[in-house]
Amino acid sequence: MLLGCLLGLASCINTVERAPGGLLQRSQQDPALSGNGKMLAVIVDQRGRPTVQLRDLQNGKILPLRHFSRHQPHSSPSLSWNGRYLAAITQRGDRRLTIIEDRLTGRVHPLPLPGGRAPVRLSLAPDARQLALQVAYQGHWRIEVFDLSQILEPDPSSRLRRSISSTEMGS
Amino acid sequence: MKDLQLPSLPTGLMPLLLCFGLAACGREVMRPMQDLNSSLLQSASSRREPAFGRRWLASLSNYQGREKIELLDLRSRRPVPLPGLNRPDSHPISVSVSANGERLALVRQRGDQTELLLYQRSLGTVQRLELSAKGIPRKVSLDGFGRLLAVQVSRDGRWDVDLIRLSS
Repeated sequence: MLLGCLLGLASCINTVERAPGGLLQRSQQDPALSGNGKMLAVIVDQRGRPTVQLRDLQNGKILPLRHFSRHQPHSSPSLSWNGRYLAAITQRGDRRLTIIEDRLTGRVHPLPLPGGRAPVRLSLAPDARQLALQVAYQGHWRIEVFDLSQILEPDPSSRLRRSISSTEMGS
Repeated sequence: MKDLQLPSLPTGLMPLLLCFGLAACGREVMRPMQDLNSSLLQSASSRREPAFGRRWLASLSNYQGREKIELLDLRSRRPVPLPGLNRPDSHPISVSVSANGERLALVRQRGDQTELLLYQRSLGTVQRLELSAKGIPRKVSLDGFGRLLAVQVSRDGRWDVDLIRLSS
């Protein structure tokens, strides 16, 4: 009986920890986990410039990024399932622009919005097949979804697919 | 000197040619998902803070001046019910969804309290999550399994990111 109560209590307890580097960085904002929970992207202040930083949560190490050392300020990072793709909003001249870095190939994909519009927030689908952008439209916020299947290879989540087959909820 | 005249093109061919031209110049073009975007535009007066799950899109959507958390099933393109989540006395700030759409993490303002919450859709339960050290939550990101949560927290005059391992 007592053991049962203790197990029940333990199952409701969540463990809280500070993200690696939190005590060393001046600030960390805009967290984005990879789908598999192994990587964390944040926006850190690097010499006054908001810059995206990627960290391996298993060993705490900062992972190298080829295409996010300039074009600050960066905002709204988002990762695919395995962290192969990192998307974020950057600044090119006077224009806000979504770019996606493929960490496997080292390629960068600049993705300008038609009509010269500026993205404000973004979310990359776990398999990297779609991108949702928040934009301003006639004085209101609007979300537009784009198909990336002709641009990026999918970042599959095979382990999830197995678990989902038995647990995914219907609408 | 004769004016140069472009031949008239069938409707719908121009965007195709434009896409082809840009691709030929090395520019990649994102294709808008027109049907989905039309339904997103028509179903709410404004919509912000997109967050993808595997076949889900969570957002903060404004209906008749009131903002609420909405979870869209991308297959049916319809919102699914979230009983017990949206309260008239609260204002959502940030939302994130697990890959299977079962768990939603959120930050909301209720009175003078900023709450960090976990919603479980199959149970219809809202669980308040506590931070280890006092702070005000601002943005959330949930991993695909719904077991790890990253939270941006205002604490001692700076922004931190806390990680919360959630019980399964």
